[in-house]
This record gives sequence, C-alpha cells and structure tokens, in this order.
Amino acid sequence: MENKNNKMRLRQQVLLEHLNPAAPARRRAVGGVASSNLVVSSSPCAAGDSAPYPRTTDFLDDVVIVAAYRTAICRAKRGGFKDTFPDDLLAPVLKAVIETTGVKAQEVGDIVVGSVLAPGAQRANECRMAAFFAGFPETVPVRTVNRQCSSGLQAVADVAAAIKAGFYDIGIGAGLESMTSNPMAWEGSVNPRVESNQRAQDCLLPMGVTSENVAERYGVGRKQQDAASVTSHQRAAAATAAGKFRDEIIPVHTKLVDPKTGEEKQVTIAVDDGIRPQTTLADLAKLKAVFKKNGSTTAGNSSQVSDGAAAVLLMKRRTALEKGIPVLGVFRSFVAVGVDPAVMGIGPAVAIPKAVQAAGLELSDIDLFEINEAFASQFTYCAQQLELDPEKINVNGGAIALGHPLGATGARCTATLLNEMKRRGKDCRFGVVSMCIGSGMGAAAVFERGSVVDTLSNARPIADNNLLSKDAK
Amino acid sequence: MPMFKTAFNGYAVKFSPFLESRLAVATSQNFGIIGSGRQYVLDLTPNGFVPVCSFDTPDGLYDCTWSEDNENILVSASGDGSVKLWDLAAPPMANPVSNRQEHSHEVASVDWNMVRKDSFLSSSWDDTIRLWTVDSPQSLRAFVEHSYCVYKAVWNPRHADIFASASGDCTVRIWDVRQPRSTYQIPGHEMEILSCDWNKYNEFMLVSGSVDKSIKLWDVRNPRQELTRLLGHTYAVRQVKFSPHQESLLMSCSYDMTVCLWDYRAPEDALLARLAHHTEFAVGIDMSTLVEGLLASTAWDETVFVWQQGMDPRAA
Repeated sequence: MENKNNKMRLRQQVLLEHLNPAAPARRRAVGGVASSNLVVSSSPCAAGDSAPYPRTTDFLDDVVIVAAYRTAICRAKRGGFKDTFPDDLLAPVLKAVIETTGVKAQEVGDIVVGSVLAPGAQRANECRMAAFFAGFPETVPVRTVNRQCSSGLQAVADVAAAIKAGFYDIGIGAGLESMTSNPMAWEGSVNPRVESNQRAQDCLLPMGVTSENVAERYGVGRKQQDAASVTSHQRAAAATAAGKFRDEIIPVHTKLVDPKTGEEKQVTIAVDDGIRPQTTLADLAKLKAVFKKNGSTTAGNSSQVSDGAAAVLLMKRRTALEKGIPVLGVFRSFVAVGVDPAVMGIGPAVAIPKAVQAAGLELSDIDLFEINEAFASQFTYCAQQLELDPEKINVNGGAIALGHPLGATGARCTATLLNEMKRRGKDCRFGVVSMCIGSGMGAAAVFERGSVVDTLSNARPIADNNLLSKDAK
Repeated sequence: MPMFKTAFNGYAVKFSPFLESRLAVATSQNFGIIGSGRQYVLDLTPNGFVPVCSFDTPDGLYDCTWSEDNENILVSASGDGSVKLWDLAAPPMANPVSNRQEHSHEVASVDWNMVRKDSFLSSSWDDTIRLWTVDSPQSLRAFVEHSYCVYKAVWNPRHADIFASASGDCTVRIWDVRQPRSTYQIPGHEMEILSCDWNKYNEFMLVSGSVDKSIKLWDVRNPRQELTRLLGHTYAVRQVKFSPHQESLLMSCSYDMTVCLWDYRAPEDALLARLAHHTEFAVGIDMSTLVEGLLASTAWDETVFVWQQGMDPRAA
C-alpha cells in the first residue's frame, strides 16, 4: 500500500513538474521524490470509497449474467395471475432469456428453478413442463431448489457454481411462485419433540411473529416501519411511472376469470399490480397489528402475497465473448448463513457483510442493494445495523410494494438490481441482493458490472479476422 | 473521420507500418496515476473504428510501438517498469508473449528500429535506456548517462545504430550503440525535454519539445545553437514528430490540449494548424507512413482521433 502511494505521488509529481516547473534545471534522481519541496499528498477520493474502481481482474472463466427478466408481480388470489397456471408464469421468462440473447435452447446445460410452497415433486414436474412450453428440447434438464425465500437467488448461485465447476457453460437460474395455487400452510402433524428444542420450536413461528420479535428485540418502532412501507410504495410507483421496469418485465398472455359471472377474458399482464402510490403514513397508522396485541406488524408494512416468476441466464465470460452477447453483470460471491429462527428477519444483516467480504470488498464499495422487504421491521433493522445509505437500498421499491412471490424473489431482485445498475452506468459497479429466510437464515450475493460490461466493451465478435499474418493463409 | 472512445485515458497512438487501417493505442486508467492499463488494437473501417483485440495490464501503459519486422508484434511500455511484447496471432491467453521486467521505474517510451528491424529501445523514468531484441529475454545493453527521467528514445531513420534520447535533465543525447558513451550531448532547453524525433529526410536534423513550451530544431553537429525555435504552445510540449512524407512538416501535441502542425521552412508563420479537438491533455500523436497526410492523436479525454491533414478531426 505504502509502495502504491509512493508510486502515485511520484507520478503526480512528475506530471505536475511538466505543468508547473519548479526549478529550471532538473538534476535529481527519481528516487529522491520524498525530499522534494513539492508536496503532493494523497487524499480520499471525492467520489468516495465506492468509486468505480475495479477490484478484480476480468477473467474468461468468470461467470457472467447476460440476461435477467421477470414477469409482473401480481397479488395472489385477486391479481392478474389468479387464473394462471404456475408453468404458464415460468415459461415466458425462460423463453425470454433465450430469445433476447440468441442462445440456442439446446445449448443450455441446466435449468434450476427456485420454488417454495408447492409440493416438491409436483413443482419439479411443472417446471419441466414450463421448459417444454418455453420451447426447450427434451435434452435440457430441469431441477428445483428450495431454500425458502432465497430459493431464486440460490438457483442463480447454484447455476453459477455449476458453471464454475465446469459441469456446463450455459445455465438458467430461475424462480417461480404462485401463492394463489399454493398458500402457506403446514401439512400433517408437528413432531412433539419440538418441545425439547427451543430453536426447533421457533422454526414453527409464523413469519409475522418473527417480525414482531425483531421489532421488539431491536427496537424498531411502528412509525419507522410504516415510513419504510410508504417509501417502498412511492419508489415502486415512481419506477413504474418512469418505465424503469419495462426493461425487466416480460408480458404474460393469460386469462382472467370474472369471479361472479365466470366469464373468461384474454389479457396481457405487464405491470405490477400491488403498488399503492397513494399510501400515506396516516392510512398505514390506522391498520391493526395482525400477529400480536399492540404489535407493530400490519398488513401495510409487510410484504404482499404474490404470484410471479423470474429467470437469469448465466454463462462463462468466454462463451459470452464468443457469442458476442453483451454482459449484464458478473456473479462475484454468494453466502447463506444461519441466524436465530425467532428473529429470522435479521438474516441480511449477517449475510451481506459475509458475501461482501467473500467478494474481496468492503460494505462501502457497494453502490446498490436489493434487500427483500419481507417485513418493514426486519428490513429497517438490517439497513440500520449495517449503516447503509437509504438512497442505495431498494431504489425501485421492494416487496412491500411489489410483492414477495417467495421462490421467485431472489431471481426477481437480481433482474431489478442488474437493470438498475445498467441504467446507472459506470458509477454503479457493485450490487448486492439479499433476503432473510424463514426458519432463521439469510442469503446474499454480490454482483459486479465491471469495466468490460460497459457499452464500450470489447464483447463483440471478431467476425472475419483470424489475426493470422497474410502469409499464413 | 471517426473517433474512438477508450475506456481509460489515452497515452499513445501508433499506426501499423504494415496495414494502413490499423492502429495501436496505449491507455492507462486514472490518468496513468494509479490503476491498470489497456493496449488496444483498432482497425479503421468505413463504419468507424473496430477493436481487433485488447490486452489488459496490471499497470498503466505509457507508450507502444509496432514491430517493423512482423505485422502481428506490438510492444507496450508499462508503468510498472515492464516492457510487454504482444503477438496478435497468438491466442489471447498466450499474451503477452514476453514480459521484460528490468527497468526499476515507469517506462516512458518504446521505439522499434526501422533500419535493422530486429531491435527496439525502451526509455524509463529510472534514467536509463535499454536495448532489446525479440529473441533475447534480457536487454542487450543499458545506456546510463541521463540524470533524470528519459521520456523518449528514438532511432535514427537512416542509421541502424544511432538513436537520440530526450530527458528531464534538460539534455538530448545522441548515442551510437557501438560506442560506450553518448556521442553528442545537446543541452537543448532550460527545462525538462519531453520528446524528440529525427527528420526523416535529413539525418542530422532533430526536433525537441520541452516543458518550456517551445519546440526546437537542431543540427546535431552543432549542439550549441538551435536552427529554429517554434513557439505557439501554451503549456509543456508532450510529443513532437516529423512527417514521413514531407521534409519540413512536423506535428506536436501539448498539455495545452491542442495538436499543432508546423512547417519550419514557412517564411512567415511556421504554425500551419492548431487543432483543439481534445478536451484534456493531448499526449499521443502519430503520422501514417502508408497514407500521406493521415494523422492520429489521443488524449486524456479517452478519445482517439484519426483524420486527414487539412480536415477537421471532429468532422464526421
């Protein structure tokens, strides 16, 4: 570091002397810079520590994301997807990542879908069917993954890991949840042994109760929570109005059945329908706490129950370069951590620092966050605990406004994050996606938009130049 | 004529001596103060610049030169003291084909011998100049006489063994690689000399550019008195270059952000053109040997311009 500083100082001085020559004759060796009367001191960069400097070299075996799309997110049972089969939600996004990039469907090595609520075997089948609906040949395998609320992110991370391991070069990480068809419920009886293990018993707590626990244990007030909710709605509404989601939302052609008349209507859903732009603190203050007497967690400051799907196409940088596909971002790191199940919402506060460290960065390097707003209580706590700049978190709203289709959320956040980073350009280099996980866990992943993903990238095919000398032909 | 936007700050631009549409551009991040470097190879097509390839380096690049012997070989001067050889015909992972770490400070310039075509020079802020060949991993010789940064070393276009060097010690020295010491010493300016170049038609004529904002022309046989002095730049002159096509034409660029064209024989005003197309320090220029009047420049504003003499570089 000292060496680096010296080098910087030397270079600055040599250049400064060209501009403002101190002495008419130079008779000094370069080594003797420190003794110079020309004082050049290193000072912190005005752009802050998170300025867009590369921290890693770009390698051809980096795992990069070349496409990330989602469906609109609609309210369960009442929203735009209430009469849509889950496979019909997933198929459009799977199709989109292939079609927009021009990757051939048969080149995809695996499709991993995060999904939480549906029965495992049935969902695995539905995902396989969705792949067929999306036009994938039978040769492309499909599997599901369930890490509760982070399933979508886990799917992306699994694909990244498999590509790194060399299992295949191109893969799709996706997420799917239809909370219309699969409501949250416990099937069968509970093992009576939970009485003997507090942690195991805490796993059975309804999520809302864990939110109350976070609010109580860490002192997050009702006002703060409601304020977070208002911000979420306002930002989501502004982003929708500004057309920011247009880059990431794939319209879904589906049907709506009128509950009274039973009439079927063909519709195209391309807008999130959970956002309430007019939400005010006063409105939210009227709502009753749901999970606890005198509690603070209300329907207004919790995430919405939703339907939605998202998909992310990953490949080796080498493959992207060969195919001439512009890189959207680089997958840098992923961690999942465990926390106390009674306050499962604190997951991101533990996971984010670990993921950032694993990427060789510091928290201040991160320019943008997507932290899932399962509940305003835990979201507010995590942001405060990590001392994050509110202007960098969920800049386009979060799950309180958009909705939280459990299995899809991770992939949805990835799509939102990368598209926003792309919009922000060079100044937004590193981004984090994180969420808390029911039964007491947290997950976080770090993404980078490196120098080669800028529009000035060298990611273009060298079509008719084999770079051999003319004599070699 | 087209403009190319580089990701980093431009430091040097060189036309290929083999392909008239090909250029090499050496760039450095953060104005070459700190960060990495990137060597671009660009092709000029009717649709503008097309990057042929680019090589990333851990430290900034300050200069580059094409091999006069093999159209695919390119040499870059790096801020970490290394001289890197690239082979465009080799796969990307094989590059650099040779990395020569001998200078103890930033390498400021590299120049390929255009008579013998088998060797090249590097000059460095460690006050030395080194002579290299493609085959030998070690330098053949170091020329140690300057007492401050050597900003430029350039071969004589007629004599295979003679070169000139410009240094921050306010001298230009003329060397013959067969001799142990420098043969001439020109105390050319009162301030640091940042660049020099040989006239392509007069083996004794040399031009130097200095921090004192002036450009001076010399007959190396008479080091006490310059032939002419060209005034017009308002800040230090960073590069000077004689035309390969016209004896009296020369080009310069400066920290005043302009690129100037001069005719030292012009009776009234030697300044032919002052081009203000750059918005930051103009630090790299070149004149094509294959196409008469085709000029190139690069600057800290992350742009590369190529234009025909007499035209406005910004004219599309």
